[in-house]
Amino acid sequence: MEPLGALALVAALVAVTTALGFVWRSRQGRIRTTTGADAVTIDGVDLGSVTLLQFSSEFCAPCRATARVLDDLAQEHGIAHVELDVAQRPELAARFGILQTPTTLVLDDTGRIRARIGGAVRREQLSAELTRLTVAA
Amino acid sequence: MSRPAQIDPRGARFTAAITAVLLLVDVALGLVEGVAATLAERALQPAFLLLAVLAAIFVWSAAGGVARNPWSIVFRRLVRPRLKPPAELEDAAPPTFAQGVGAFVTLVGVVLHLAGVPYALVIAAAAAFVAAFLNAAFGYCLGCQIYLLLVRAGLIRRAAAA
Repeated sequence: MEPLGALALVAALVAVTTALGFVWRSRQGRIRTTTGADAVTIDGVDLGSVTLLQFSSEFCAPCRATARVLDDLAQEHGIAHVELDVAQRPELAARFGILQTPTTLVLDDTGRIRARIGGAVRREQLSAELTRLTVAA
Repeated sequence: MSRPAQIDPRGARFTAAITAVLLLVDVALGLVEGVAATLAERALQPAFLLLAVLAAIFVWSAAGGVARNPWSIVFRRLVRPRLKPPAELEDAAPPTFAQGVGAFVTLVGVVLHLAGVPYALVIAAAAAFVAAFLNAAFGYCLGCQIYLLLVRAGLIRRAAAA
């Protein structure tokens, strides 16, 4: 290939990858509220109160920071935070369609999934969402 | 369980940035050079040699931890002394896992190029570039998705901690 053509392709690769990066970043931590139909039950996990259910893995850089934020928020709002390792519970990863770690599900006190957050959580937004949820409950 | 090795997260980003630049250079070389006619010629093409070196570095640091990556060492020796101490340390496991993925992708490119498959080298280098660039520029975590795919495909399973 001519050097000029190669250069154009390389520039296009960088541009597309950069665009991909902005899209990826804008989706990280976005809260998707759901009106979960059925209450979920999970073996070995007590879901009696509003629960932040976090799926983590060993090779996940942002999982620990997310666990810290969720711990704080759980204390502030008087709710529970449960962290599960997907490698130990692959059936749950499949059941909830987890495609990345961390993924956090917000369950209300009846065990219905009310929100889902892919990627590192954004503290302020989630805190506001939890206030809405716990006040309405 | 022993605590995994801890690294400066900025070092991991620095390593990814240098790797991304070199992979991009390799994509450009691969596009210009194409695929040579004979095996001996292919094994001496600069694009091939660069990708082989990058693959070797990936293998080396996937096996021994990302802290062993030459660019990580450059960061520790030359860059980190000039920076403030890191706000916090991170596990070395996620970037080391990413090095393993890089090793796999680049080795596939190396082998297919030697076999004379057109564009194999360029595609492998471009794929590795995308991951390294996203990691360096956006903090994208390859282990967060690929590892999960392996788990869900049933290739990895851990017993629950006692």
